[in-house]
Amino acid sequence: MDEFEDQEIAKLLRLKRYEQPPPGYFENFLHEFHRRQRDELLRQPVWRICLDRAHDFIFRLNLPTLTSYPVAAAAVLICAAVISLQIYQTPEPARFTRDRPALGGFSAAGSADAEWTLASPVATRVFGTQPLRKSNESAYTHRAATPPRYVLDSVPVSYETTFKF
Amino acid sequence: MRAKLAGVFWVAVTLSFFAGAGLLRAQEQSATTISREVKDVFERAAKAVVKIHAIDPHGELCGTGFFVDPTGTLYTAYSVGGEAENFTIEVKGRKYAARQVLTDIRSGLAMLKVDLATPALPIGKSEELEVATPVVTIGYPLDLPETPNFGMIAGFDRKYLGRYFSTTHLRVNLPAQRGEAGAPLLNLKGEVVGIVVSSLENSSSCYAVPIEAAEKIRSDFVRFGEVRHGWIGANVSEAAAPVEGSRAEITEILDPTPAADSGIKPGDILLQVGKVKVHEPEDVLDASFFLTAGDVVPITVMRGNEKLTLNVQADFHPASKQPPLIASPLSPNRAIPLNLQSAPERTP
Repeated sequence: MDEFEDQEIAKLLRLKRYEQPPPGYFENFLHEFHRRQRDELLRQPVWRICLDRAHDFIFRLNLPTLTSYPVAAAAVLICAAVISLQIYQTPEPARFTRDRPALGGFSAAGSADAEWTLASPVATRVFGTQPLRKSNESAYTHRAATPPRYVLDSVPVSYETTFKF
Repeated sequence: MRAKLAGVFWVAVTLSFFAGAGLLRAQEQSATTISREVKDVFERAAKAVVKIHAIDPHGELCGTGFFVDPTGTLYTAYSVGGEAENFTIEVKGRKYAARQVLTDIRSGLAMLKVDLATPALPIGKSEELEVATPVVTIGYPLDLPETPNFGMIAGFDRKYLGRYFSTTHLRVNLPAQRGEAGAPLLNLKGEVVGIVVSSLENSSSCYAVPIEAAEKIRSDFVRFGEVRHGWIGANVSEAAAPVEGSRAEITEILDPTPAADSGIKPGDILLQVGKVKVHEPEDVLDASFFLTAGDVVPITVMRGNEKLTLNVQADFHPASKQPPLIASPLSPNRAIPLNLQSAPERTP
């Protein structure tokens, strides 16, 4: 059996020894290859071709890597915007002056305006009997809004009027 | 002859070269020595200097203070600790609650207390200072960490911009920044000789209260639980001519005051009050400041050709007639007015 097949193969090889491709075969090989490839592709439906091309394009661009940074940055910006909107919401109008009931016949809101005088170029304020805000509340507000006051007077507070002793 | 002259010339040139080099070397060594001394003072003293946070009606304030005993007593300026509350001190990034113990606007100082075992700065003598004596401060300018500053004593002033101080202030050529009120003024031995209380023009120099003034109010507090500035009740003006080296003439005796009771009369020339020698009317400021109400003080006057020494028991100074402040046990961060009616009987 094997011997028969060997003989057949040897015969075929002898016959094929002198076979040559037709003239111009190698010159047209690449062109023919592309033509046959296109023919093969055209057997598929158009939608399949478009899908395959889109898939190839996405893989070539490595789209997940390219989109991760902008998406992350956009997410951070959105979060920051939401948080800042919650923090800097328009506060309610300060009601501690208007809502305070009149004390001893004077209105705290009215007196706050009246306490400013034009008697001196330096604004002189006569403080009312009731503080508008407690010092702790005031300090809390200042702490959130302004830096602390770093103290150093321009003139010593020590003061003597005459040479009395 | 010419060869001799040339030899002398070259010898002189060589000597002057070596002398110049030696001088340069000495200057470098001197600068290095000062730098080393300042660094040494800073390293030893900085651990006893703290940043003070407090709250007053205008908001949060920051200043400097320093410990003067190991039980947590600290000095600062009145502008820091005088009219604020909710004190905290910051040491190495950690904050501790402090309370106001004593304030004295007459000297411009305040005393706080922290319940901690603390390092303390040694107390020096401002009397030993002279103009151009080098000094160092350590403070907390703005929101910066502890910072050394080096300068020198520029003067001893009793008056600035037309106002007399209660006691002589030390003017220091040393740039103090905001936040450094209450900083210690140290000599190069590392001893406190003053407390920074204010700046001058452009913050190029500053005023410090002598440490003796702070020790006076602390001594009063330890003895009586309050500051007791003393008062005799006499008015002093400049005499037409000096007598026994003094131009301080007593022109008025207020009644009823210890001066009226002691026999001091208008026209007497004041020579000495306690240990303070008087040469001119301004000397009375220091003499008066260190009087303690209740203490008996010898006063030497010249009446005609007779020198008299009179023992006078000082009364309370009119400026301290308002109730002094003591620490409140109910509200530990706030001083309360002391009711003198309920105070223990005063000791003379």
